[in-house]
Amino acid sequence: MNKPDMNRRTLLAAGLGMGVAAAFPTRLLAAENLVVATFPGTWNEAQTKVLAPYFKKRTGASVTATIKLAHDQVAMLAAAGGNPPFDVAIFDDPQVLDAVKQGLIVEYPQAKSPNFKELLPQYQDPWGPKISMQVIGIGYNPKRVKTPPKSWDDLLDPKYKGRVGLTALNSQLGIAFLVELNRIKGGTDTNFDPAFKALKALLPNVGAIGANLGAYATLWQQEEIDIAPYNFNFVQTLKGKGVPVELSIPETGAVGWRTSLHLVKGAKDPDLAVQYIDSSLAADLQTALEQAPYSVIPTNGKVQLTGEITRTLGKTHADLAKIRTVDWAVINPQRGALIEQFNREISK
Amino acid sequence: MAGGSADERGEWRLALPLAAFFLLFFIAPLAVLAAWSFYAATETHTLTLAQYAKFLGDRFTLGILWNTLWLGVEATLVCLVFGYPLAWLAIRLTPRWQAALLFVVILPILTSVVVRTFAWIVMLGSQGVINKTLIAIGLIDTPLRLLYTETGVVMVLAQVQMPLMVLPIMATLMRVDRNLFDASASLGAGAWRTLWKVTLPLSIPGIVAGCILVYAACVTAFVTHTLIGGARLIYMPLYIYQQATGANDWPFAAAMSVIFMVAVLFVVYLLNLLGRTSKGQIYG
Amino acid sequence: MARRIDADALSFGLAIGGLASIAVVFLIAPTLILLITSFTDSESLKFPPSGYSFRWYAALLDAHQLLDAAWNSLVVAVWTTVLSVILGVTAALAIGRSRAPWAKALDSLFMSPLLLPALAFGFGALIYFNSIGLAQSMIGLIFGHTAVCVPFVLRNSIAALSQLNPAMQEASESLGAGSLYTFRRVTLPLIAPGVGAGSFIAFMSSFDNVPVSLFLSDARTQMLPIHLWEIIETNLDVRTAAASGVIVVATLVLMILAERFAGLTKQLR
Repeated sequence: MNKPDMNRRTLLAAGLGMGVAAAFPTRLLAAENLVVATFPGTWNEAQTKVLAPYFKKRTGASVTATIKLAHDQVAMLAAAGGNPPFDVAIFDDPQVLDAVKQGLIVEYPQAKSPNFKELLPQYQDPWGPKISMQVIGIGYNPKRVKTPPKSWDDLLDPKYKGRVGLTALNSQLGIAFLVELNRIKGGTDTNFDPAFKALKALLPNVGAIGANLGAYATLWQQEEIDIAPYNFNFVQTLKGKGVPVELSIPETGAVGWRTSLHLVKGAKDPDLAVQYIDSSLAADLQTALEQAPYSVIPTNGKVQLTGEITRTLGKTHADLAKIRTVDWAVINPQRGALIEQFNREISK
Repeated sequence: MAGGSADERGEWRLALPLAAFFLLFFIAPLAVLAAWSFYAATETHTLTLAQYAKFLGDRFTLGILWNTLWLGVEATLVCLVFGYPLAWLAIRLTPRWQAALLFVVILPILTSVVVRTFAWIVMLGSQGVINKTLIAIGLIDTPLRLLYTETGVVMVLAQVQMPLMVLPIMATLMRVDRNLFDASASLGAGAWRTLWKVTLPLSIPGIVAGCILVYAACVTAFVTHTLIGGARLIYMPLYIYQQATGANDWPFAAAMSVIFMVAVLFVVYLLNLLGRTSKGQIYG
Repeated sequence: MARRIDADALSFGLAIGGLASIAVVFLIAPTLILLITSFTDSESLKFPPSGYSFRWYAALLDAHQLLDAAWNSLVVAVWTTVLSVILGVTAALAIGRSRAPWAKALDSLFMSPLLLPALAFGFGALIYFNSIGLAQSMIGLIFGHTAVCVPFVLRNSIAALSQLNPAMQEASESLGAGSLYTFRRVTLPLIAPGVGAGSFIAFMSSFDNVPVSLFLSDARTQMLPIHLWEIIETNLDVRTAAASGVIVVATLVLMILAERFAGLTKQLR
């Protein structure tokens, strides 16, 4: 009878002990903590390895980053009412319009952000500073594809049968690719039939469709695909990990959009949030992010362009400003319908 | 017997705490879910059957439901084919080996499903272990595409949920009187005959229990569906999640959840029925 | 006649043995391969690894977000288990040995979370908790997890109770002991291993839970499985393999402890 007795007591005691310990705050660190949103891939890594330590040195606070695509962030903020799950949002151009319309973000308090005025004028947006530009092109495996592809039509080349990759439309990469394909094939911003026709023609070549950016990166790493649309930054980051991938800008030109940080309405730590955003505008931080393997295009005028950016995209800030963008005000409302059409016609 | 009625008499009150908890935190959420399935939109709360019509009237969405239910059947069958022999063998081992085997069987269910599914991603790629092995032993020349295919999902589901099949069958087989097998053999029946005529019929309760648990787990295995299935294979859990959090269409997602629950319960009911009729045929 | 039976037994043995061996390999291989891969020194998840190193395990120490998520999951799992044991054992005492119809009905009700798609319940819980102000909170998570984990405690406690000889209880009562004393000194110690096994499974089930945490947790209350899934879906990160390795080893250690103190494998047969 003694043994079970002892078991019960030790179990009870252990349970109580853990229970008491568990009553303490949910964070291991007692220091202040800011909750922000970040993008997958390059952004998440740059956030963890460069931005968070920089921010911690500046303010002593740590950062918890949740990895969400821009559109999902808008949905989460809208659903959360006045109680947002994160204080800093990261959006691409299209989401800023939505967020402002739905009252999810507040005007950026420029007075509290000393680094704001160092940004080039086109990046100083009252709703939130632009922290970078993202550019898409044709990603390819240099081991298998010996000459860099020069046109989006190369994807249709029968020699790539089963080796072409596509990404789901929920990411900006997918939408931007669709819009560019549409433009080349003669469609307009309100008529996407040419794009879908081209995609259907592409289907026999498609080896895999990445459900998300992590799966997409895995496809490249496992060498399941040889050629596919891809982001400049993500290619550089994967290259840094030894994955065989390069980016080629097609002759029809690069397509890009801008990425920005925003203060969320109802943030729990607005001052800390502004300091975080301000940190990402600093010249020294942007210089650090401009290096390989992130190669994030800087928006602070004091940062010199070096390395891969100058080789592939443009030698000066003026060159970069010329990269074609998209009329998001027209495209964005069609997003849901486009994704639905993609799922139905292409995905199966 | 006096003891029996004492149990019934005084102790029903002990069930109250859990019953109250279930009312507040299990039944209430499900009721709210059902209520929301009748709303017109996330903001407008007028009652309508529109959400159900939207789902049931669309080939695409019905296809997702069907694919999910069928996926469960495939995975359950694979589980049964491999799990039954394992259970059969397990009960014939000495207690020490049996405990060791039980460990091997139980460890997977206790390890996070994310971890186990992630392990498979490493194995299923073109350069993964399975392809490398098959090429090495000469069965195939070019790597099989397993990742992001239904075959891959079935394989991973079967492995991830296999313990749920093995344990109930083992439990049932262990309760069977060993003498029955000896009697069968001494009457001249070969091993196969004993299996068909004696062992299998007696293990039906375990098989049914295992199939039900595995089926319920497979159709709702969100993580496995998304990590192994990719974008081309959309199943109900992912679709519900997308509609709930990505599109913020709560009424539609709620209607889908209700339809999904009813469908799974229906299949479970069928499996139960199958079990009972088989038992009826054996025991008359 | 001897030869005919030999061929029969041989084919049977090969079939059963073959299928069973494949099953065992299937059960162990992925976890084993993952463990080996987690010791790679490169940035990619190739098997076999090009070189070996502890670097990814070392990297875990810096991954403070991962550690936070692990801590949150631990806290929720502990409270869930405590709540499940309190609610589950009391309910088991009520319905475990009763043959009344209400007992059977309650039994089916309390077990139903195992059959219903937990995802649907998780979503329902989100909507419900939103309206009562518990959304995205640790308390909400604990309640949600308890609903889906208490069946394990209940099932194992009922099983333990059914194996209990009622004579023990009667003897204690006939010697003048009150029912609380009898419960504390006679019943509880005897069903402790069963309750222990059930709580262990409830604990692991809560720690590993995905469908409920998916809806009820957010960035401020991150849960480990969701965080891991998020990383896998968005990045190529070998740290996930190292984190998985730690989880596997921790589970193994806990299982051995549960076996030692509660006879885990005996309870599950």
